[in-house]
Amino acid sequence: MQRLVPLLLALALLPACGGSKHAAGKPLLVVVNAPFSRTPYLGRTIENGVRLAVAEVNAGGGVRVAGQTYPLEVRALDSALSPAHAVVNVRRAVADGAVAIVDEGTGVNASWRFAAKRGVPIGIVFEGGSSLVDPKTRPNVFRIAPTDHGVAFRLAEYLIPQRLKVGILHDDSDYGSNGAAELTRAFADNRSSVAIDETVPADALDLGPQVLRARRAHATALLVWGRPATIASAITAARSAGWDVPVYTPPTGADPFVRQQLADHPSWVDGLTFASGRLTAEIGTGPYQNFAQRYQAAYGLDRVGVRTPSGEPVFQPPETAMYAYDFVNLLAAALVKAGSTDPAEVTRALEQVTVEGANGDERAFNEHNHEGVVDDDVYFARFEGMTYAPVRNDALSRTLPTLPQTG
Amino acid sequence: MNRLGTLALFAALALLVAACEPFGDEDKENLKKDCGAAPTQMTSHPNLPGKFPDAKGIVYTSVKQDGPATVASGYLNLTIGPAHQAYSKAVKSASGYTVTKEEQDAADSEVNFEGNGKSGQVKMVQTCKGRTSVTITIRPA
Repeated sequence: MQRLVPLLLALALLPACGGSKHAAGKPLLVVVNAPFSRTPYLGRTIENGVRLAVAEVNAGGGVRVAGQTYPLEVRALDSALSPAHAVVNVRRAVADGAVAIVDEGTGVNASWRFAAKRGVPIGIVFEGGSSLVDPKTRPNVFRIAPTDHGVAFRLAEYLIPQRLKVGILHDDSDYGSNGAAELTRAFADNRSSVAIDETVPADALDLGPQVLRARRAHATALLVWGRPATIASAITAARSAGWDVPVYTPPTGADPFVRQQLADHPSWVDGLTFASGRLTAEIGTGPYQNFAQRYQAAYGLDRVGVRTPSGEPVFQPPETAMYAYDFVNLLAAALVKAGSTDPAEVTRALEQVTVEGANGDERAFNEHNHEGVVDDDVYFARFEGMTYAPVRNDALSRTLPTLPQTG
Repeated sequence: MNRLGTLALFAALALLVAACEPFGDEDKENLKKDCGAAPTQMTSHPNLPGKFPDAKGIVYTSVKQDGPATVASGYLNLTIGPAHQAYSKAVKSASGYTVTKEEQDAADSEVNFEGNGKSGQVKMVQTCKGRTSVTITIRPA
């Protein structure tokens, strides 16, 4: 609360001392490129994180660049999880003069070139594929989200010492393929820990045959890397066959869609363990809770649509929204640092600014590193009664608090 | 419950959860605490993967393998600030290595690195008045 009071005072006072002294420039366009129609929760939470940061920047008088103040404006475009759609959206954003693009990540392998022609920065806030970000060859691409490399290696570091025989199932989406590549590397020196490694179709409703093969290969754990629908299908196949195998996933395991699909069998979700980026920083939970309050006051709770065993409704903490929010604040700082609204200047300045992220951690990029989430900040959480809590058998996870998810 | 009520509920929950801060008052108390006996030093100096450098004064107490990652533990007889500087300098001066991100708080710090086909983190926590524990995680980049 001590942090909240000065923040509210500052927000209240900033408009009074900002806009009137400086000429107002034309609004600067921030485009959100996300799969609103295919994964609505993900698209909406990215957009809300961007809109919250933009609202706060504008409430402070906008961004002051070379004697002028500029408000930010947001435009959302649906990528429909299609690389082709995503590329069209990025071309349109560049043509419309966007100063930056906040992107879920689909299609960036192709779209970054079109943005690079005008130096427009792309901030990826979900997809973790290693090839997407490279400061040397893709200087306009940045990311604030756990990397597939970090998630895959942390999963290997967590599972191998438990002497589990892991059945790896990954779907054939971009997300699944990128994850599979990193899992192969993470388990390369410990292949005896892998019982089976299978590719499954991303849209398959029945994964019974693949799960049966994993069981016959004597897997003692399933590691399912795919879109939320794939994870729900794999759990359904295992549990309906009476196989109580522990299931591990990347961050998509926490997507509300998984719980919605399994709502008729809530006990099937129990024990599901996912890896994701820690939401709170070493300094404590205060800054994150402050952010969550502002997010929820503005957009309401992200209701999952399920209840705990005691009947409490469950909501989703705003994780991906936090990454989108932080990228916009870095963008605002970079605009000021650049002293220019030229996207190419802003891209260069993004390597030179640091902001306090929504969770109190520093967010910054530099010439060597365009990743905003470090691998060692990946933790593990386990579901019980439709909500999750950090596991206790991992050094980082056991230091983390359980965040509110009901109400 | 109306929106105001929801906001009030969140404020109350925030205060409740903030009371469990992992690096709150307890960690700051550690900074004033006398150090007890030092952990036992390893009998031989470990060779870490990727020729990962030593900070001046590092005392190793264990090295273990967690799947693909090598995890070395030890300590420096320094407070958090000098300990952080020691590792930041060691990594920056080591052939092939760069610091990708570093951050220091009141009682803890991290130096993230990449180089020689490896990546990872040096995590430091000041555990008492004059000693900082060091955990180095090294994994394939």
